Amino acid sequence: MSAPVATGRRRRGAGWLYYVGIAAIVVYCLAPFYWMVVSALRRPADQFSNALLPDPPSLDNLVAAFSPGNGFGRALLNSVIVASITTVLTLILGISAAYALARLEFRGKGTILSIIIATSMFPGIAVVVPLLQLFVDINWINTYQAMVLPSMSFALPLAIWLLTAFFRQMPFELEEAAQIDGCTPAEAFRKVIMPLAAPGVFTTAILVFIAAWNEFIIAVSVVNKNELKTANVIVSQFTGQYQFDQPFGTQMAAGVVVTVPLVIAVLLFQRRIVEGLTAGGVK
Amino acid sequence: MSEPTEPPRGAATSAAVDTSRDRSRAAQSARVSGPLRRSGDWARRAPLLPALIFMIVVTQLPFVATLVISFMDWNAYYPDERGFAGFANFRRVFTDINLRNAVITTIILTAAVVLISLLLGMLIALLLDRKFRGRGAVRTMLIAPFLIVPVAAALVWKHALYNPEYGLLNGALTWIWHLFGADRPPQPDWISSMPLGAVIAALIWQWTPFMMLILLAGLQSRPLDVIEAARIDGASGWEIFRYMTFPHLRRYLELGGLLGSIYVVQNFDHVFTITSGGLGTANLPYTIYQIFYNAHDYGRASAAAVVVVIGTIVIATFALRTVSTLFREESSR
Repeated sequence: MSAPVATGRRRRGAGWLYYVGIAAIVVYCLAPFYWMVVSALRRPADQFSNALLPDPPSLDNLVAAFSPGNGFGRALLNSVIVASITTVLTLILGISAAYALARLEFRGKGTILSIIIATSMFPGIAVVVPLLQLFVDINWINTYQAMVLPSMSFALPLAIWLLTAFFRQMPFELEEAAQIDGCTPAEAFRKVIMPLAAPGVFTTAILVFIAAWNEFIIAVSVVNKNELKTANVIVSQFTGQYQFDQPFGTQMAAGVVVTVPLVIAVLLFQRRIVEGLTAGGVK
Repeated sequence: MSEPTEPPRGAATSAAVDTSRDRSRAAQSARVSGPLRRSGDWARRAPLLPALIFMIVVTQLPFVATLVISFMDWNAYYPDERGFAGFANFRRVFTDINLRNAVITTIILTAAVVLISLLLGMLIALLLDRKFRGRGAVRTMLIAPFLIVPVAAALVWKHALYNPEYGLLNGALTWIWHLFGADRPPQPDWISSMPLGAVIAALIWQWTPFMMLILLAGLQSRPLDVIEAARIDGASGWEIFRYMTFPHLRRYLELGGLLGSIYVVQNFDHVFTITSGGLGTANLPYTIYQIFYNAHDYGRASAAAVVVVIGTIVIATFALRTVSTLFREESSR
């Protein structure tokens, strides 16, 4: 943390009560997730056990989640494909838009920024009806692009918002120097700005990927063929309508598999993600 | 000045209004020099256009279509009766008992989730706003719920926590009861005894970290020298919080509340997964989904969607104002 913490309070120290509070919060935030992992690692026969540790631990649930009948492996692949394409395309559109917003001066910039923020607040449900109608008309039901395009439109405002904040932090003299040295504006952007902006672009990529990976309502609406469903949709349909005759452990295992990549990403890139989440609006 | 497009630094911008900002910007842009100035206005807008056109085509045009459909009789079961309906769909949104209940459920759900997660987020942010060993690790762990796949998070709550037989909540109750030597601990069926509460609790768990992050950012932007001075002058911890920290946090609380409301109003995943909209938990997005998929009444579904959008716009107008104030403050700092 760059901000100095009030020394008075620190000197008085963090008493044990303070740590109890922190511990309570950590338990609150992590207990549900822990229980999901533990339930996934129990033997199917121990499904109703309340023990804090799986005893003995078993991977049966995990194996069951990937059994061919569920189509879960294929669904994971679909999720990766949809989220990756969304991320790449969003970044291409987002970088150019954000650069223009951060660096170039033109009339109507404020209005455009407002439109972009407004779009990010647009409920997905409000466009599902006509989008679905459109996708039926042009035969896009059960295609990747039917999931990618709407997902991009939700992710783009976030990307533009974050990238604009990153570009604004970079000194303007960089491009001016490059242009004085004979670069065209496009070259200055490609050779000087992009390498420097890489960390910001990377943060944005992670957050856009997470948003695309989590997208549910469009994915559940535009695809009804099992081979094209994303992991989210498949996992939610494991549960079905009747919760009591469902393979609970299998669902938890699948839930862990869907979530683990994100948790790893969060742990690896936590500083960047925190930076990204708090960039722009609140610094 | 590092960047010619910045508003003047150090100005008392918190009270500045949009018009004065635009004027100062216009004045600034007139002074902008350098090679970028030479290219035409449209050349400068060009990099922006693909993204803008894309967003308009994919979100705004479909919404216009939604708007048109909302004034139409359009039910896939009765394809011959398609036609102009006037405000009939909207009248049904507000008179149909299911839809009216959905509106009320949405309001309760949103208000409860946003208020409670703001309160919890503030408590956690206050706790985390000092140095201790492992602070970074704790902060990382606390953010995890926000980034977990919403559907998976809802599943965790539905099965791993609420399940009456093997859920963590009832497991914990059993453990506590046994700890005090009592048997026969209460084993409620959480979802059927308090369905809306179950959805709300699961959503609060996911939204608390978001609020915490925003408020922590707010806490760390406090002018610490002033607070230190107040402490030296003998202000108590509570007084500092009440008269200094809280007023400073107010704008961050507003921001968190507004952004939270915008997203919780739209929530679909949790309702869909935890209760499938049963037991009085169907909020507007879920009801729209049902009208669309089960009744195939596109007109009515679209009218309800328009109501959601209008509600969101009302909230978003406030949000935009708050965000732009913060944005200005940041650039003037």
